[in-house]
Amino acid sequence: MAKIQLKNICKRWGSTVGVRDFNLDIEDKEFIVFLGPSGCGKTTTMRMIAGLEDPTEGEIFIGDRCVNGLDPKDRDIAMVFQSYGLYPNLTVYENIRFPLKIRKVDSATHDKRVHKASDMVELGNLLERYPRELSGGQRQRVALARAIVREPNVFLMDEPLSNLDAKLRVSTRAQIKHLQHTLQTTTIYVTHDQIEAMTLADRVVVMSMGELQQLGTPTEIYDKPANTFVASFIGSPAMNLLDGEISDGKFIADHTLVKDIPSGLPNAVTIGFRAEDIQVTTELEGDITAPVYSVELLGDSTLISIKIGDALLIAKADKAFRVNIGQTVSFIIPPESRHWFNKEDGARIDF
Amino acid sequence: MFLFIAIPLVTVFVQSFYVTQTVYNTVSVETCTPSFPTSICTTSEKSVPVMDKDNNPVTKTVYVGLDTYKSVLETGKVAKLISSGHFFDIFSNIDFYKALSFTLLFTLITLPLVLGVGLLIALAVNNVSKRMKGPVIFVSLLPFIITPIIGALSIKWLFVSNGLLTRVLEKITGHEISVFANSWSIELLMVFYRVWHVAPFAFVLFYAGLQSVNKDTLESAIIDGASRFERIRYVVIPHLMPLIYFVTLIHLMDTYRVFEEIIGFASQAHVISLQWLTYNFLEPDDTGNRAISSASASSMLTMVGIIILLAPVLKRTLRDQKKG
Repeated sequence: MAKIQLKNICKRWGSTVGVRDFNLDIEDKEFIVFLGPSGCGKTTTMRMIAGLEDPTEGEIFIGDRCVNGLDPKDRDIAMVFQSYGLYPNLTVYENIRFPLKIRKVDSATHDKRVHKASDMVELGNLLERYPRELSGGQRQRVALARAIVREPNVFLMDEPLSNLDAKLRVSTRAQIKHLQHTLQTTTIYVTHDQIEAMTLADRVVVMSMGELQQLGTPTEIYDKPANTFVASFIGSPAMNLLDGEISDGKFIADHTLVKDIPSGLPNAVTIGFRAEDIQVTTELEGDITAPVYSVELLGDSTLISIKIGDALLIAKADKAFRVNIGQTVSFIIPPESRHWFNKEDGARIDF
Repeated sequence: MFLFIAIPLVTVFVQSFYVTQTVYNTVSVETCTPSFPTSICTTSEKSVPVMDKDNNPVTKTVYVGLDTYKSVLETGKVAKLISSGHFFDIFSNIDFYKALSFTLLFTLITLPLVLGVGLLIALAVNNVSKRMKGPVIFVSLLPFIITPIIGALSIKWLFVSNGLLTRVLEKITGHEISVFANSWSIELLMVFYRVWHVAPFAFVLFYAGLQSVNKDTLESAIIDGASRFERIRYVVIPHLMPLIYFVTLIHLMDTYRVFEEIIGFASQAHVISLQWLTYNFLEPDDTGNRAISSASASSMLTMVGIIILLAPVLKRTLRDQKKG
């Protein structure tokens, strides 16, 4: 079991910057998720921890050791890849046993350890099959079993659920969560899916353009996004953001007039609010009043969207709520649900 | 297919059971020498070819069954050598077995070398920087592009008694070196030449295969603790296996018909191959006759040999294909 520390990590390829001055302390037994869009540097950061890439600058500590010069095999980590990375010519049993065999672990213990690992991911009856005879979910479970068989200090998971269909993703996600809880191993999990991040993580690292945007528990990230990037990335649907100006103690934009705003806001601001916090009404006395752009029925609720300039604002209304496209509606944003961001740099404004 | 493969194959097969000979007639010839008081006459019997009306020798083709095969295989001589306890003389005294043993040896020695060298070049090229790849690939492919007979001759000329390399080696070692005086050194040179000539073919295929090795699997192996060699053994080679079978098939077929090396290195006096034996049967002998049926029999036997060699590889490939 180990803590992980990243100190001033940079990764550059020529003039391309992958990761910029990245600092992070990961606690022992913590489940941490790197979340961000494609190309934000999250996988690169994980690969540097694994030793598959060398950082251009900075130091990486696993436990008390600086692992910068160490080969991946000497870092006592295990990794699960998006496309499984199984050995196609070996059976499931041999795949799981491979790390033990290669590391010359006492062969008398192999059988017991392989069975223990395969039972944990419920693969017990598939040990004689070849990877090509397994479904995607089963393959990913083989990869998980191969990772846990050696009982490493750190698990690294690189978008392990991305190749699975939606239903399987939910069950495998639960399995990963349960596994980490049972094994109590420090885990770093890379994903671009914010639902995975919210459901799995003890703490989430939100990244963009090679930089850390926010580090916090899923609740912190959801309730207090540090900037407009995090706000627009987390939540389904993501937070609504609308640029406007402050004048006479009111927030003004097209079709929009928000009263009762906190004092001390700069002139150019962005207001943010979540779809589920808004009330939608057909009476025309809300904060934002505009014609309906589209109506989406979700079953448990109805999404009503309106368009202000380029911004598409979405509200979650009751499942019985019905309006027609083009009909004018009003959004009422309760004061406690409003988030304010500086329009210039996108940073959150707290009071 | 039918016109160019099946028909020639069937005709060669049929020819191997027939022998075409000139028809001879036995005639009594009385030869008289002038003498006194009377000329001395002797009568002798002589075979003369029967001529047709255009004065060409008349030929007839007779069915001889397996006799041609027996004469190529020299079954009588083999039996005699075995019974006299000189089993190994079969491979030095009888042309067919001499050719068979060299051909087999040549095929089986070059196969692992071609696979190994091909894989090594492919791995090396895969690891050089992008800028160097083009030139390195071109240079590696050169031996494959060169006409076999020219390649063989140029290697031979390097090693003949006054060749460049022989002179250099003599300077270095201080001994007189004559590569072409010994059977083993010629064989070594032939093996070297064949590997040099064919390894690029294996290289190209393996290099193409290397481009599709699953990167995740390779990295899994790195994290699991596999060394460079273990990664090749457990990830790269299993991935290249279908290509290795393919190169093996092609190489077995190709090398079992080894011919250019015999001609190029003029090694007939020391070693011959099955293909060269067939060629030799087809060459007109002192009387201008070609042993066509022997040549047919020998080429049929060569083909049977190839089929026997290929059978296990083909079986394995088919099995893998069914599995995959």
